[in-house]
Amino acid sequence: MFQWFDERLEISRLYNKFLRKAFPVHHSFFLGEIALFAFVVLVLTGIFLTLNYEPSIREVNLPDGSTVPAAYASVLYIDSLPFGAVIRSVHHWSAHIMVAAVFLHLLRVLISGAYKKPRELNWLIGLGLLGLTIVTAFTGYALPYDNYAVTATRIGYGIGASIPFVGGAIAEIMFGGEFPGSTHSVPRLYSIHVLWLPLTLIALIGLHLLIMVKQKHTQPKYAEKVAPGKILGVPLYPQQSVMMGILFLVYLAVTVFIAGAFIAHPIEAFGPPTPQTPAVKPDWYFLWIYGILQVIPSEWQFRFFGAVIGPEFIGGVIVPGILGAVAALLPFVDVSKDKVRYLELPSEHPVRTSVTLGVLMFFIMSTLAGYKIDLNLSNAVLWTLILVVPVLTGVVSYILLKALYGRSWERSSAEPQAAD
Amino acid sequence: MYRNDTVIPWFAILFAVALFWMSYLNGQHIAGLAGHTPEELSVGQIGLMAFGAVLFMYGFMGLMSNWLEGEELRPIRHFPEPSTAPMVAGIILVLLLTAMGGFYVRLLIYSAQTGHNPTHLQGGLFAVMALVIALLLATYKKFYEREEAVTEDEHSEVPW
Repeated sequence: MFQWFDERLEISRLYNKFLRKAFPVHHSFFLGEIALFAFVVLVLTGIFLTLNYEPSIREVNLPDGSTVPAAYASVLYIDSLPFGAVIRSVHHWSAHIMVAAVFLHLLRVLISGAYKKPRELNWLIGLGLLGLTIVTAFTGYALPYDNYAVTATRIGYGIGASIPFVGGAIAEIMFGGEFPGSTHSVPRLYSIHVLWLPLTLIALIGLHLLIMVKQKHTQPKYAEKVAPGKILGVPLYPQQSVMMGILFLVYLAVTVFIAGAFIAHPIEAFGPPTPQTPAVKPDWYFLWIYGILQVIPSEWQFRFFGAVIGPEFIGGVIVPGILGAVAALLPFVDVSKDKVRYLELPSEHPVRTSVTLGVLMFFIMSTLAGYKIDLNLSNAVLWTLILVVPVLTGVVSYILLKALYGRSWERSSAEPQAAD
Repeated sequence: MYRNDTVIPWFAILFAVALFWMSYLNGQHIAGLAGHTPEELSVGQIGLMAFGAVLFMYGFMGLMSNWLEGEELRPIRHFPEPSTAPMVAGIILVLLLTAMGGFYVRLLIYSAQTGHNPTHLQGGLFAVMALVIALLLATYKKFYEREEAVTEDEHSEVPW
């Protein structure tokens, strides 16, 4: 059979050229693969959900006589199907896992210096993928149309609408009118969630992988001694493919187990939307923004060319925008003269590692501020935590790194660097 | 970072366990383990568990990669010698998978007939089946697959 196909399609040439591509072996590459498999599972489970979901808020009657939105009723129907609740839960958990995996993958690229020449473009695409992943997850959040999801989505709607000049247009494009209330919102969010954003994600993931294959992985440093100037790895087929197969199955095992044991968004517990607003918080990946919004005083408001710059815009758009801009500019500020071929050791780049830990602490402290009311913390305490603890973390990390690895920095700076 | 070590994967698994532990610090007991009760998790718990899941998978695969592929590659070919023990293990795993597959189908039929969805059992069974297939693949890779480390030129023609 192989010979029959080979004579017609020259498959052996494909094998020799593409399937023998060398894949370096290092555990840190699995983070990107986990993100990829989360996306694959999201698409597969999403296809099942679209077959049974009704994107509408028209009122329907349940067998118990209650009247609920059709979207809510269709999710109850999905949950009643054999294995249906688990598949919906896998979809929900995979969205969370993808956001976490993309973030950790980005963190790995950051602390190993893999964003530098020649991978600046892929770093920018990676940042875009993180943003798109979060937006895609957000647009899916309101689709079950339960009381919790509607209230949580309204926070995002408020942030989007607060952007001066273009906020109204963005909210109109994303929600098709006032949210909640407009009958166009759910169909609009549904279309964006299942079609436009996934298509964009597929295109960007494809581009990300294509550039990665062209530019090759950053290799673990020992490869410099074993095969200098070469890419050392295992062939894509069969060895790397088997490892990817094992990882995909492990992904399925872990996610389906968690999804079965912990139904992530049990809409029966929340009920259909009511005039009473439940005490909700946005999803965890927005919690740090929500925390900043909690500590910004409401009087921080001024006019700029006729537009109102309010706390929602400052906390929800300006602060994340500054962080995003800094991340985007990083490969053009922290430049490398030669191509980076090997994973840089975080211990040998103390400033970058310390700043990264400081930024991580900023996210953690801002997230903590999201629990301002629950923990009964004052604004003064939270501002101190948000501003001082990250700086302190960075300084202490630097001192510790210097104490532990200072001698190895001196040795490595004395060694001659390989030319490009 | 220097080589395909086991230190970071072990740390990731420990960290994952800590995150799962932390996600229950607010006193909420494990939802759904006794069946599908419509009990919600907080956003904080979901976030901790999502990071815990990623770190657990990463750590597990890191250890698996170290076991199957080693710490450092050397450009060499390795032809494994087939032996009986892994074959017996494989047969046992296949029998286990077959039995669980049958039970899984029975479970789906039960759910369809009664309208009762024991999600913890459905999810757990599916997870174990996926894990058994992963172990079968790992057994094949460790004991039967021909190993090869290759080098590629940095300016190769792949993909252009």
